[in-house]
Amino acid sequence: MSKQNQDHSEFKGAHKYILDEELAKIVNITMALEMPLLLKGEPGTGKTMLAHAIAESLRMPLIVLNVKSSMKLIEALYQYDTLTRLNDSRFGDSKRDVSNIENYIKMGKIGQAFTADRRTVLLIDEIDKADTDFQDDMLDVLDQMEFDIIEIDKTVKAVHRPVIIITSNAKKDLSDPFLGRCNFHHIAFPDPKMMRNIIQVHFPNLSADLMEHAIAAFYRMREIDMVEKKPATRELINWIRALETDPDFKAKQLAKGEVPFLGILFKKSQDYAAASNIASRRKLF
Amino acid sequence: MFLDFFYKLKDAGIPVSPTAFLTLQKAMGKGLVLSLEDFYTVSRAVLVKSERHFDLYDQIFVHCFEGADLPDIEGVELDGIARALLDEWLKNPKEIADALGLDPEKMKKMSPDELLEYFKERLKDQTERHDGGNKWIGTGGTSPVGHSGHHPEGLRVGGSSMNKSAVKIANERRYKDYSRSGPLTQALMGEALKQLRNMVPSGPKDQVNVDATIYQTMKNAGEIEIVFDRGIRDRLKVILAIDNGGWSMDPHVPIVQTLFDYARSQFKDVKTYFFHNTIYDTVWEDPSRYRKPKRLEEFAGKDPDTRLILVGDASMAPYELLARDGSIYAHERSGLASIERLQFLADLFPHHVWLNPLPERMWPYTRSIITISRIFPMFELSIDGLEQAVTQLMAA
Repeated sequence: MSKQNQDHSEFKGAHKYILDEELAKIVNITMALEMPLLLKGEPGTGKTMLAHAIAESLRMPLIVLNVKSSMKLIEALYQYDTLTRLNDSRFGDSKRDVSNIENYIKMGKIGQAFTADRRTVLLIDEIDKADTDFQDDMLDVLDQMEFDIIEIDKTVKAVHRPVIIITSNAKKDLSDPFLGRCNFHHIAFPDPKMMRNIIQVHFPNLSADLMEHAIAAFYRMREIDMVEKKPATRELINWIRALETDPDFKAKQLAKGEVPFLGILFKKSQDYAAASNIASRRKLF
Repeated sequence: MFLDFFYKLKDAGIPVSPTAFLTLQKAMGKGLVLSLEDFYTVSRAVLVKSERHFDLYDQIFVHCFEGADLPDIEGVELDGIARALLDEWLKNPKEIADALGLDPEKMKKMSPDELLEYFKERLKDQTERHDGGNKWIGTGGTSPVGHSGHHPEGLRVGGSSMNKSAVKIANERRYKDYSRSGPLTQALMGEALKQLRNMVPSGPKDQVNVDATIYQTMKNAGEIEIVFDRGIRDRLKVILAIDNGGWSMDPHVPIVQTLFDYARSQFKDVKTYFFHNTIYDTVWEDPSRYRKPKRLEEFAGKDPDTRLILVGDASMAPYELLARDGSIYAHERSGLASIERLQFLADLFPHHVWLNPLPERMWPYTRSIITISRIFPMFELSIDGLEQAVTQLMAA
């Protein structure tokens, strides 16, 4: 409790990030419990943005670990740069002390978060890309808040427990031990009212007319059934940006059922075809 | 009270763990939970780990803290029917007025909430009078009110919901959509089949082999020699055999199609064959099963590491499987029963599974399914089934 107080005030949202109260509550309780927070939701609903927003509003540095499918846990913790050491020992022209292995240990993202001199926000993005072993092992490290560097037989302990945000795009569940160790929230797709606030934050100068029509058109496009990847917040923001830059575009066109720049909203070719088909049909009738 | 809540969640099939429950206690002990709304949010974040269970959680929460009826799990279908019926009624206000025995003028003055409440009351009345209406109302009774987005006047669903009580939020059942297992899209299949791969070195030599480099460098008395290896790539061979004949497979065509598309785009080396009901002497490379037959004996030359995936409903007359001339096609009389041919394939490729688009609970009623599943491990063609099948295929 005391730790929480001295570290920061509560998380209340940030510049350019609209937060619903429920999620704010979950973020605060997660920080207090010192557990990782697992976020799921449709792509483009702001899972990654949340970590950025937390870091911004609590003025903590943000460390991002982008998970790749081939990633091993050790890469996220530290790297022992053998080649440089070999090179140094051969030519002896560097200032590093070759006999001291520690000079050749580089911290990975998790290692950096542990050794940082202040509390950080650690974002582990798209955990579902890695295999389950990686996930389980990583959770052990995050649970214990320490790991060993085998080469120099040293244990790295977290100086300050980072605020850990984990995102996953997967529809299927992660493994049970993994889920057992974190809190969970699913970011639902924002409703039009929330969406209006979000757009307002991103485009403060947007005319009310264009906003209304764009959002209406956007939700209309989301309702198309045959589409596999529905456009999300990210697509809408890019789309409005495109509409704004087009000098020939007028908000009235949207009301008539025209939807320019469909390619920004629909990125799969069959989705695009289905959407443009429906859009052109609407225009006729 | 909380213990009761915890066990209710558990009984409903939400995988809640004691550790999570203790975490929840810790959160409450820290004074972080000040209201019922807080409790709703916090206990969901801590206890429920999948959005698929959010809806169930909402229902149980309402039950425990408001005393709402627990829905009959069996009655999910009826629940939907009741709502659809209500939808239908609400499209035509006059009809609903008649049905409820209300004066249309009077009804206009009622707010949608009142109307739904009234409707609910009426439903309850009816239960008492009609026999057999019990279940219909039991499930329909709570949900139309909770889910009130269908009135012609436009009641809101979801939205900025934080000004209301937790019970009301829970009763909205915002997460209902996530609780249904959605259609098996390519992306979902991709996730399930992602584990299915066979990593072998191939491609350009572009990765440093540290051990070999150190060894060679030592051999050269300190003159550095860097050794490169080939990267690890996926080289999995898959044979996909699909039952595409007969009306019995017709309802499953879209899902099998998705699997087929995915397999084509994902696996480097996939061969697809077709058969009808079961396999005799040949499978076909063309979907019409006419032009390009391939004799089973030819498979003997293939890599035994190839993964064999058969897709079919495995539903047929027992003689088709067991009799020596069981095929329904006259030209396929070979003298060997299909069951022996299947066994032959299973022996040829030790990594094999049978994916069945029929739901698993239907399997025990069909004898040919039972017989085939003795030879091929059979899995349901669903996300969970695919995952299990992949585990089976990758087992050494």
